[in-house]
Amino acid sequence: MASLELKGVRKAFGATPVLDDINLTLEQREFIAFLGPSGSGKSTLLRIIAGLETADAGEVWLEGRRIDNLPPGERGIAMVFQHYALYPHMSARDNMAFGLKNAKVPPSEIERRISEAAEVLEITALLDRKPSEMSGGQRQRVAIGRALVKEPKLFLLDEPLSNLDAALRLRTRVELAQLKQKVDAAVIMVTHDQAEAMTLADRIIVMNDRRIQQVGPPMEIYSRPQNVFVAQFVGSPAMTLLPAILAEGGEFARLKLGDGSVLDTRVPAAALPAGNLRLGIRPEAVRVTNQEATTKGKVDLVERLGERTLVYARLADGQPITAEDDAYSGIKIGDEVPLLIDSSAAHVFGPDGNSSHGTAA
Amino acid sequence: MAVNVKRSKLTLLGWAALLVGAAIMLVPLLWTLLLSLKHNADLVGHSDAALHPPYTLENYGAIFGNSRTLRWLLNSAIVALGQTAGVLILSSLAGYAFARLQFPFRRTLFVIVLLGLAVPSQAVILPQHQLFAWLHLHNSYPGLILPGLVGPFGVFFMTTYMRGIPRELDEAAMLDGASRWTIFSKIVLPLTLPAQSTLAVFTFLGAWNDYWWPLISATRSDMYTLTVGLASAQMNYAQTSGLGYLMAQAVFASIPIFIVYIVFQKQIVRAMAGAAVR
Amino acid sequence: MTSERDWRGLLFVAPFVLLYALILVFPLLRGMWLSLNQVDLFGAGHFVGLGNYTSLLHDPIFGASLVNTFEVTFMIVPALTIFALLLALSLNSAGSGAALLRGIFFASAVLSVTIVTLVWRFMLAPDAGLLGEIWKALGWQPLPFLSDVHLVLPALAITTVWWSVGFPMLLFLAGLQQIPQDMYEAAALDQASRWTTFWRITLPSLRRTLILVIMLQTAAQLQLFGQSQLLTAGGPSGASRTAVLFLFESAFGRWELGYASAAAEVLFLIILAVTFTQYWTTGRAAAGSDGR
Repeated sequence: MASLELKGVRKAFGATPVLDDINLTLEQREFIAFLGPSGSGKSTLLRIIAGLETADAGEVWLEGRRIDNLPPGERGIAMVFQHYALYPHMSARDNMAFGLKNAKVPPSEIERRISEAAEVLEITALLDRKPSEMSGGQRQRVAIGRALVKEPKLFLLDEPLSNLDAALRLRTRVELAQLKQKVDAAVIMVTHDQAEAMTLADRIIVMNDRRIQQVGPPMEIYSRPQNVFVAQFVGSPAMTLLPAILAEGGEFARLKLGDGSVLDTRVPAAALPAGNLRLGIRPEAVRVTNQEATTKGKVDLVERLGERTLVYARLADGQPITAEDDAYSGIKIGDEVPLLIDSSAAHVFGPDGNSSHGTAA
Repeated sequence: MAVNVKRSKLTLLGWAALLVGAAIMLVPLLWTLLLSLKHNADLVGHSDAALHPPYTLENYGAIFGNSRTLRWLLNSAIVALGQTAGVLILSSLAGYAFARLQFPFRRTLFVIVLLGLAVPSQAVILPQHQLFAWLHLHNSYPGLILPGLVGPFGVFFMTTYMRGIPRELDEAAMLDGASRWTIFSKIVLPLTLPAQSTLAVFTFLGAWNDYWWPLISATRSDMYTLTVGLASAQMNYAQTSGLGYLMAQAVFASIPIFIVYIVFQKQIVRAMAGAAVR
Repeated sequence: MTSERDWRGLLFVAPFVLLYALILVFPLLRGMWLSLNQVDLFGAGHFVGLGNYTSLLHDPIFGASLVNTFEVTFMIVPALTIFALLLALSLNSAGSGAALLRGIFFASAVLSVTIVTLVWRFMLAPDAGLLGEIWKALGWQPLPFLSDVHLVLPALAITTVWWSVGFPMLLFLAGLQQIPQDMYEAAALDQASRWTTFWRITLPSLRRTLILVIMLQTAAQLQLFGQSQLLTAGGPSGASRTAVLFLFESAFGRWELGYASAAAEVLFLIILAVTFTQYWTTGRAAAGSDGR
């Protein structure tokens, strides 16, 4: 049986549509990330699942039960809010007990669940403190604990890491991954941070402009982006896009770039639409070389990251391209460098923005 | 370099002026206190006797021997506490609805309530008097309390305060299966405690000191509040008990309000800060 | 939370709104109606149109009471504003001395009008008052503050300023707290004198508070009632009769409810004009902070 099912969900705020015909099925115990820029509709979708917003059309099903007409508290869903939304006047214990009391869970059972969750989250010592007496990380654990004790069928996490500093974010990411192993429920996390989505999720739902752009496991999203938006949004630094036209060739597409250089891709030529194309290439597939090069670029900026060096350059026709070089690169701004493009990693995007990928990629 | 300019450095002249000002504020109160400590007979014709002993507490003893003043104190307490409780309850309920709930005519009602802020009491007090006469509520506690409950300030104040409470808390409570009423009573209401205490102090002060309405509504002396009782004593003092006793009544009547003032100074200052920022 | 669009919210507002409609809105409208009628003690009345208003226009006592009201307001408001501002400027520091003085200057504001007039009656009365005793001690003739036509309004004004200086002082103090410290630091680095700092930074930053204080006080003093009723009963010979005392006397002394209501409406209009002047000058509409 599927965990969560969304069927044809639509939503508009006044005259502004925010979600268009969203269909989605979650497997049992699956960890899903809604990834997208702000305004993509991902938070609205989360709130519709939670029952904090009502969809204009469509259905929400959870474990075989239709829930879109139920009040939020009766859906079997728990949510960890972006700013945690802990009740400031209650101790951690009372925060966790509040929902259970409303559900008339017997006191001994409440006590058992709280101490169990507190142990898992290592917050036993904090149980009698109020939120104002805790650090940000501690508050988040309590917020997770509050969701955990409800033993929900579905967890919703709204930007769970966005309020933590960098060090804590990494640690919490690990803890969330461990938590996922322990809970017997599906998890949906909303985030705009692709690293978060990539590390935690079984599948990523990339959203933009009211629609789901792509659904798939993290590496599939990364290596086979379905369209220009996904290609550019996932991956850091962003994929380089270069205008190209289809040159004469055989089975596989041979592309001619604006500066005249030619590239043999592994994309079947027959699959490509007519018209202007764009070549998509990730920085790690563009190397600064001193051997035979595909093209060359003039360096705008050199970014030394320690383990590697990123080179931002311009081709002869002015198109920006991002390349990689070794950690101890001697390249300086203004240098003219030869660039080798790994043509097997190329993506080709048609005029409609949809992509074709190399068969062997 | 440490720049500390906000701290005002008063000149000697400035300090002198301030102290004179403080004396002007205090002297009338001290004078009242001294007068209240004199035999009534000693003050006839020469009130400067107040500056010298002998002093006595007999006037205060007389107040406790006189059930009327104590009755007025009780009336004032009932009216002020009743109004305070009423305003807190009505304002919290209405404020919550205006801040959080969607219901028909919400905007219209809120605007109508806001417009009430511009209505001075003298514009409605005569028809109110007529209305309460029809309802046979004059010379009763409900009659004294009810007109104090309809001031829109409390509703406006609580609405503003509740809007400042993050909506996420309501939503978390909804997911926790809380009903509208539970969210109001267990989540939002406890978080408005600072606002409640501010509103309470102001309502209490206003009710305790109100003069106009009890003056026209309470016509039987056993239903007077302290303000009206003192007014009647003041106007008739020539025929009655004497200056010392009158001043003892004044001191006696100010004690509760000074206690409230000293205990709740913080709330008063905070409320003024809120008013100035608005 | 569109799912909450229902009637339950009305249950929350109903207790207040019903009382508000009965005890405020209805009397407000009823007052307007009464002002167009001749109504006596027994409530029986007949419609006279604007008759009450024309009578008011020709009533020298009402005219005099309006003039008294404006005069006393004009004495009180500037004095109150200036004193309160000076106090706030002097006492805007964290020291305990300043805190004590703030407490002293605000203390009188928590007293009721009855107590204030009682205290000041025995300050001002020439025979039994402290001022009289001081005058006598200095070998002068005590001034008959409450029985001299020219002294009675100043006497009411002094009493009122003493009573009311605390609230505007606190408003100014709160306003001063809102001025960012870095503006003063910048001014100090620019070598601005204290005088320049006051005129260029402090006063402009207090503009809103200043307007608020002036308008609130004007509206309050236009309704001055208790001081006049209790200290002098409007006397001597009407020299301290204010507009509200006039309507009190005509309503509860002579039971001319219609006539008194008309006087109340006139005063209401004047106060409304003052209130809306405030909204204009502060550049903010009355509904600027209403429900979304």
